[in-house]
Amino acid sequence: MSPAGALCHSDGVFLALNEMRRAKVRFGLLAGAVGLLVFLILFQQALLSGLVNQFIGALKNQSADVLVYNSQARKNLEGSIILPDQQAAIETVDGVAVSAPLGEGTFTVIAGDEEQDAVVFGYRLGGPGEPTTLIEGRLPEVPGEAVASSRNAEDGFDIGDTVELVPNLGGVATTFQVVGLAEEINYSVSPVLFVDFADYEAARRGVNPDATDVLPSVIAVRVADGAVAEQVAGAISEAVDGTEALTRQQAVDGSPGVASVRQSFSVILLLFYLVVPLVTGLFFLIVTFQKAGALTLLRAIGSPAGTLVRSLLIQVVIVVLAGAALATVLFWLTARGGAGGLGITVEPKPVIATTLAVLVLSLLTSLAAARRVLRIDPIAATTGAGVQV
Amino acid sequence: MNLALTELRRRPSRFTVATIVLTFLSLLLLLLGGLLDGLYLGSTGAIRAQDADAIVYSETARDSFLRSRLTSDVRDAVEGVDGVDMVGGLGFTLLGAVVPGERELADVAIVGYELAPDGVPDPPPAGHAWADSTLQDAGVSIGDTLLLGPAATPIVVDAWVDDTNYLQQSGLWVTLDTWRAVQNANRPDAFVVEGVVQVLVVRGDGDLRSTIDTATGTTSTLTREEAVNALPGVEQQRSTFNAIIFSTLAVVLAVVGLFFSLLTLERIGLYGVLKAIGASTRRLFGGVVVQAVVVAVIAFVIGGSLAALVDRALSGDVPLQLTIGRYAFTFAALVVAAVLGSAISLRRVTRIDPASAIGSAT
Repeated sequence: MSPAGALCHSDGVFLALNEMRRAKVRFGLLAGAVGLLVFLILFQQALLSGLVNQFIGALKNQSADVLVYNSQARKNLEGSIILPDQQAAIETVDGVAVSAPLGEGTFTVIAGDEEQDAVVFGYRLGGPGEPTTLIEGRLPEVPGEAVASSRNAEDGFDIGDTVELVPNLGGVATTFQVVGLAEEINYSVSPVLFVDFADYEAARRGVNPDATDVLPSVIAVRVADGAVAEQVAGAISEAVDGTEALTRQQAVDGSPGVASVRQSFSVILLLFYLVVPLVTGLFFLIVTFQKAGALTLLRAIGSPAGTLVRSLLIQVVIVVLAGAALATVLFWLTARGGAGGLGITVEPKPVIATTLAVLVLSLLTSLAAARRVLRIDPIAATTGAGVQV
Repeated sequence: MNLALTELRRRPSRFTVATIVLTFLSLLLLLLGGLLDGLYLGSTGAIRAQDADAIVYSETARDSFLRSRLTSDVRDAVEGVDGVDMVGGLGFTLLGAVVPGERELADVAIVGYELAPDGVPDPPPAGHAWADSTLQDAGVSIGDTLLLGPAATPIVVDAWVDDTNYLQQSGLWVTLDTWRAVQNANRPDAFVVEGVVQVLVVRGDGDLRSTIDTATGTTSTLTREEAVNALPGVEQQRSTFNAIIFSTLAVVLAVVGLFFSLLTLERIGLYGVLKAIGASTRRLFGGVVVQAVVVAVIAFVIGGSLAALVDRALSGDVPLQLTIGRYAFTFAALVVAAVLGSAISLRRVTRIDPASAIGSAT
């Protein structure tokens, strides 16, 4: 406080910190609540991104411009098969430069001496449908080779490792040697192997020796130079009966569950973003009411209203930043714990963006308390009245 | 008690903001719980309905129905195990179905079965199905002929059954032969010959799990509950959503604690006077708890109504399912959190000295 008794501008900080020091439990509880809420926001944002990437990474990061599904499959790779006459008809559509089968299936494999689930994508080597995010090694050049998801390298899917597909009774085992690693190619939160389509066929027959035919799940299309993928997709759907052609992005967005997961999480995140500033605003509004007498007295002895408001806003900033720091630590611990194998990682950008958003929203809701401070009439100190409700 | 309720009645504005915050939190708790229930119930109905003491998979399937494949030899071995009374085959195929008069396809899970699960009659005639009632939302009516999969295999819907969905797809319960016909027409890569099923449903007594697996040497046997939890994503969804729900409850506790400790702080003088004229700490604290519970109940009622509106507004693709059980759990959890949160004020109320009333009460 200034020698004259009245608060000067720099005393806003002093006042804010001193009050917080003397009411550690009160402000600690608020920072804890804000911290938990910010943690939940960070966690759910990461969960959403992790879920989407790990569910459809293989679709997102493969080279086909257009994927042609059976229209009965409702954009579900697992439920789609393309019949031979449909495949032949797709090749003749204008704008299709190359079309090739792409098969997908989940298998039991032995990798790293352990039985695991793995999703196998079979594509025509050199054709559309190959992984585009290779970070180490090379793409398969002959049958028996595979590119694996880099996230699972330590689980027995590293370069040089051999992965064996476990056959069912009467079937023959198929083995692959991992020759390359690609990032963000997981599918259904499982390890992924991109292999030659012939290997995929062999794998299918290995688990079901009674299979009469192994058909591609979808047809991967590379569009001709100058052609627009969306237009080619539309032309295929129109020309080939019983098919639904989608651009890569449409296939990703339309994958089963992706849109509904995004919609569900958006509603929940919106509510969380509303609750944080409401809690902060509520707290400071009540505290302002409780301090009404002291604030009126400070105004009466000459403290500018701006200084008192600044003190309030400094407290908001400190509480939100402390909460965000706590949230980041909790988030980091959760990410370290694995968080259900979703590969959640702590990245500075979303943490900073979330903290800033919460800070701005909290400052906005604290304006209600600031308004009360500004409405204090110093003359009320002589009558005993405080903040006007 | 009367004082606490009178304050709530006469100065409701004092509690408005806390009620709004708790309303949002109860809405969040209901939506999170509703999503968890929707995902769980919509994925597991066909397995929960099984009247089974054990479910037998092929050893290589890693407890996946769709990857399991059991031949008639294995079935014979299972039937010969001591304690096994009844054995029935079960198989699933996930397909799209054309519904008469509808432009959108319906997602269906064709379930071939022999032993009737709870709530499902004995198998219908060949080519007919008992359909899960959720298919009514897709425009299906009794007597409709659905065309299944790329091969457009016809199936006639004979009657409705409830809560029998599988992996978010509506159950269509058919004979094993009909299931094989649908599977073989639409999924040649997953062709099933006569006698082959995906899993076996077993009724009997004793330690069926180990005796069956020992007898066959090629199977993995689970209880029904284990089979439910082995479905893809069920355990992960439950643990993730529960972690979020309980963290949100911790926030409720902190918010109630914060609000009522501030309110108590404001009333210290008043409490001093009340204690001086004979009010017990128990009575004063009881008043705080009553106010916290009333605020929580009001917030729950508003939050619950909002959740029902959100449920209506969201698209049918979102697996939100608000059950009575979820409402009851959320209500109980909110009230408990409110009581615990208000208990933070207990220490302060206990420490109030009636003597402080002299000259300090306002």
